[in-house]
Amino acid sequence: MSERFTTADVARQLDDCTFCPKMCRHACPVSTTTGKESLIPQAKMDRLNRLRRGLEPWRAETTDALYACTGCRQCTVYCDHGNEPGLVLLAGRAAAQKNGAGHPALTGYGERFRARDQRLATAAKEQFGAEHFATSGTIGFWPGCDSLDKGSADIAAAQAIFERLGVGPVPIVDAGLACAGYPLLAAGLTDEFRWHAGKVATALRRFTTIVIGCSACRHAITAQYQGEGVTVPTEVVTLAEFLATHAAKLPTPAVRKPVYYHDPCYLARSVGVLEEPRRVLGQVAEVREFAWSGVDTECCGGGGLLPKTMPAVADAMARRRLSEIAAAGGGTVATACGTCALMLRRNAPDGVEVADLATTVARLTDTPFTPPAAPADEP
Amino acid sequence: MTDLAAALGRLVGDEHVRPVPGQPAWLVTPASPAEVADVIRSSADAGAAIVPVGAGYRAARVRGLGERPRIHLSTERLDQVVQLDETSLLCQVQAGLTGLALEKILAPRGLSLGDYPPGILGSSIGGLIGVRTPGKSSARHGFFEEAVAGVSAVLADGRTVHTRVAPRRSTGPDLARALCGSEGTLGIITAATLRLHRRPEARLVAAFLVPSVAAAIDAAFLALREECAPAGLRIIDAAEVRAQFPGVALGDSEALLVAATAGPTDLAACDRDLIASAVDAEGGRAADVGLAELWWRRRFGLEATPEPGPMFQASAGPGELTAAYHAVRAAVPGARLHVSRFDLDGAVVFATFVDGSGAALTGDALAAALTSAEAAATRAGAWLLGARPTALDPYLAALRAELDPRGVMNPGALQ
Amino acid sequence: MVVDADRVRRELEAIVGPRRVSLRAGDLDTYARDMWPRLLLARRDGAPPASLPTAVVWPETAREVAAIVKTARRLGVPIIPYGGGSGVCGGVVPVFGGITVDTKRMAALRGVRSRDQVVDVEAGLSGERFERELARRGYTFGNFPSSIYCSTVGGWLATRAAGQLSTKYGKVEDRVAGLTLVTGTGDIVDTDGPRRALGGPDWTQLILGSEGTLGIITSARLRLSPAPQLTVFRGFEVDNVAAGIEALRRVMQTGLRPAVVRLYDELDTFVNSFGHHEHDPERAHFQHTHAPAPLPGEGALPPLPPPPRPAESRGPLERLLGLARRKKDGLRGDAFTALLDRPRFINTVVGAVAEKIARKGCKLIIGLEGARLRTEVEAALTFAELERAGARDLGEEPGRAWHARRYAVSYKMSGVFRDGAFVDTMEVATRWSNLADLYYSVREAIGRHAVVMAHFSHAYPEGCSIYFTFAAHADDRAASERRYDAIWKDGLEAATRVGGTISHHHGVGLLRGPFMAGEHREAMAILGALKKSFDPDDVMNPGKLGLPSARWGSV
Repeated sequence: MSERFTTADVARQLDDCTFCPKMCRHACPVSTTTGKESLIPQAKMDRLNRLRRGLEPWRAETTDALYACTGCRQCTVYCDHGNEPGLVLLAGRAAAQKNGAGHPALTGYGERFRARDQRLATAAKEQFGAEHFATSGTIGFWPGCDSLDKGSADIAAAQAIFERLGVGPVPIVDAGLACAGYPLLAAGLTDEFRWHAGKVATALRRFTTIVIGCSACRHAITAQYQGEGVTVPTEVVTLAEFLATHAAKLPTPAVRKPVYYHDPCYLARSVGVLEEPRRVLGQVAEVREFAWSGVDTECCGGGGLLPKTMPAVADAMARRRLSEIAAAGGGTVATACGTCALMLRRNAPDGVEVADLATTVARLTDTPFTPPAAPADEP
Repeated sequence: MTDLAAALGRLVGDEHVRPVPGQPAWLVTPASPAEVADVIRSSADAGAAIVPVGAGYRAARVRGLGERPRIHLSTERLDQVVQLDETSLLCQVQAGLTGLALEKILAPRGLSLGDYPPGILGSSIGGLIGVRTPGKSSARHGFFEEAVAGVSAVLADGRTVHTRVAPRRSTGPDLARALCGSEGTLGIITAATLRLHRRPEARLVAAFLVPSVAAAIDAAFLALREECAPAGLRIIDAAEVRAQFPGVALGDSEALLVAATAGPTDLAACDRDLIASAVDAEGGRAADVGLAELWWRRRFGLEATPEPGPMFQASAGPGELTAAYHAVRAAVPGARLHVSRFDLDGAVVFATFVDGSGAALTGDALAAALTSAEAAATRAGAWLLGARPTALDPYLAALRAELDPRGVMNPGALQ
Repeated sequence: MVVDADRVRRELEAIVGPRRVSLRAGDLDTYARDMWPRLLLARRDGAPPASLPTAVVWPETAREVAAIVKTARRLGVPIIPYGGGSGVCGGVVPVFGGITVDTKRMAALRGVRSRDQVVDVEAGLSGERFERELARRGYTFGNFPSSIYCSTVGGWLATRAAGQLSTKYGKVEDRVAGLTLVTGTGDIVDTDGPRRALGGPDWTQLILGSEGTLGIITSARLRLSPAPQLTVFRGFEVDNVAAGIEALRRVMQTGLRPAVVRLYDELDTFVNSFGHHEHDPERAHFQHTHAPAPLPGEGALPPLPPPPRPAESRGPLERLLGLARRKKDGLRGDAFTALLDRPRFINTVVGAVAEKIARKGCKLIIGLEGARLRTEVEAALTFAELERAGARDLGEEPGRAWHARRYAVSYKMSGVFRDGAFVDTMEVATRWSNLADLYYSVREAIGRHAVVMAHFSHAYPEGCSIYFTFAAHADDRAASERRYDAIWKDGLEAATRVGGTISHHHGVGLLRGPFMAGEHREAMAILGALKKSFDPDDVMNPGKLGLPSARWGSV
């Protein structure tokens, strides 16, 4: 069995956290944004430890701490125990579900997820037109649900870049599905996740290569699906990795504009893609770094279903992430994840412009792209 | 009052209780900390004010007491070295010992209080600690108060407190610091444990001519930021150079920078070189080292310093120092100034006001010059001698009321 | 005294709004404790905290703090400031209930005055974030405690903290240009001003170390140094503790200021040579950038373990087996948990073994950093002085290895507690001429009850600090607490008797309260007077600093 997935190891992790002088606490964006000691990784794990030991009852009032995490893994960088609070807290959420103590904002989430998934897939077909979709092929594009929801311009930009690089057209995967299922795990709905994964896998298997715009989807498909016995033999790469292999073909502008790169937490710390986005961006811009970047990147607040369970905190996390750029007099930020783009754009202070990597590249290389019209039934 | 005098005479010996002419005061000179405690108890019981006086006592009229009877408590006879711990470079001394006397005792052992301006060492240890004035510091050894590792003092109720001697502690507020700088209002210091230094392996001096006082000040802080720790550093403006170092040719805006470094040979040389590079970066050049040697000898009284000496000083932080210098210069024509007592907190501007013939100003002319200089310096952001932050005065008053409910401990001070 | 919790909530919400006040059980539970190991004994036993705050509040400005203090005075409830909650003395335990004021929403680094190299920073900023931001601007504050990941600037100032490089940079109290304090009357006061120029007591030094009993520090002006241009590490070996102490003394009294000096006694040197944690940056980087993945069929999420079996007494053999299973983790502290019932045996025998079999003497780590030129000169002089004192040069590697793992020791705590034992540290200090006495007395006193080792660090021209680490085991919570209390009583009484101070940098909190009278003796009158002046109603963190409280009774 793998190290972090045995009950003995999880028990050790919970006890290690309970007795630890909370060395990771400065690196949790949820607790740093709120200032709340009860939301540091150690306190969240300690709460779970008390729950599983029967020292606290399984109730919504006691399980709330389990949801105050985006799974960003910033805490793991400062943990010598090798603990994985993000992962263990998800296990806690699964137990909370089973004990009828799930987060009130996630009541009926399984249904809501499925409904959203279908709606986004249908709307996308309408927006882009069926000719941009395919059910099989050598290569397919999986933008991710947040991109399909609020980032359709970014998808258009990506498609324009694919064409310009001579690798297009890259059709969007046509399966009536928008999301690889990570949010179901974040809600602790492991059965639903397994069922959904099966459907996604079936769709993806029909392609040789899949380019993914969402970092959580990438992690789910390449790392978490197999845990549920779902295999995807397709080659899966993130958009950033894909563009990086062709980056040399991108034209270099005469004047390189400075652009900050925000590492999406899942991309940097779960999937290990740090260098490729910088290589792509560096072709067309002067890459600038946040104070906490790379392995130290700070989460935009979009993960772990936080925007559903603690929406004010999630937005505050995004604002906090961008405050450094605002304080430096403003600037442009590029990121390589649909969820980050959504969260940061929504919370960008004046003078800070946020765009997805593909859109940034398109703009800086004067690659024209047409954002599709909003779908008729956009809520 | 005479009852009290008699009672005190019984405690310390009648010959050590003398009336102070022209005031309702008696000069009392106890021989030991125990006697100090007794004197304070008796005086407080009689409602007399207790004013600590140290070396150089000149029976000055103490302000703010009206006709209230008072005791001038002299620590002159508390002049013992209680303990000398050479292994730890600590010595415990009684408060009446002067800095100079202590240095004389330490010198044969190759020890010293440290590189403090010799001019301050005429005071008693109690005075050095109890009264905070700017300039008791050097870059090498810091502010004099930092040399205090422990304090013994007598409170208003006659209790003696001793603060534990430890290099550093985390046992609450630093209670010794309540007594430092509080001029006897919270307790009369009877003894202190001081940090000592060994005689350095090498002492070097150097002199430089710098295009301007501002450049010299910049050079000084440049060197200090490179962690240079000079034993002494002084910037002398042209007016003062001409008066103090005749024969040196320099322009009106130029300045002489003299410095002394000390420590293990390589370190002293390194510090001197750091100053030289900083001066070089500011457009200055080396000057006759004899000038620095002269300055250093005068500093220790080995050679006479030409009169008159400074009659005004203002202390300023690194950001305000240059402006303070220029402000005083402009306010009083013909003034001679130097800047010294450098550390990372800033330095002190000293000024000598003279008339056309070079004689010191006196009387009304002096008063006018001082008023101008004080106003100019304050506007430029400097702090004058005797200045106090008043923001926490209510807390000081409350503290004094707690420790000294009868209000006998130097009541006129720190008001 | 019955507190109307609803009234407290309403009054606090009137100041900060509803989102920055909490009376929720989960929050109150978290804020009831810091990292005082004694509190973990109760927690491990499943016991709830002995005392809880009534409410937690998160102010964002000094004015909000002032309003909160005034409210507390009016309502007659205590106020407890809370920074990182990383203190090891119970300083934030709300022994008489009250309102816990978390400073972490006042966490701005307001600005640096480059001319005099002073930073204006709010109290709730995390130490690590503070230093990183300063580094980006080319500065350092120089305070690197092993708790830097989990402590705040305000907490440092309230306890007079020290970092591992204090030999060069001083403790925090050596680098404060001014404080902003909300006093116990609700005033906001600044203590800034050219300290050396102004008459009267140095208020900054009277507030530093007050651990929330005089007021709440909301921001501070701190003196910075330029970021070091050069860092040098070295390891040396000395014959024994006495030789090491002498070598350190000579270095410090030559006027040299290394950044870090660490002399490990025989036992600490011996233990350090085991479980040598390989520092593999590449492997670490991989682990940080790749989430662990399940094997096929294991489940996408790890399983949550069931409640553990009721704690049966684990005999020495079981513990040894536990140790064997965990050996690959390299947790060197585990070497003792299996045998902790025989502390004197361990202290004597293993100590002797360390001296004889290891036959290597004591390890000495030296580090210097600062301006390039001067640091080079000081390093050469320091190493020469050490060699003159008989130390043998081991090269850079031991120093670098220490630096790479310098925060690692804090993580070891978990393993010891998980194993049913406890571990804690006691740091004392005294002058050089007293140091050997202090070392042997305190070591003997602790050694009656626990396995103990020590290292000497935080050196000064006049003396040095000793840092004892001790571990012990007892059968249950009550016995553990008894043993814990006996260790501290005997250890601190020994320190006081021999003339050492009871704490060099950890502070007083609840732990050392009973020993403050012995530490300060008559000078406690000054502390009491300070308390009455700044906090006439006795609402500021009552029960701490060993201050008697007529209003609230005894702790």
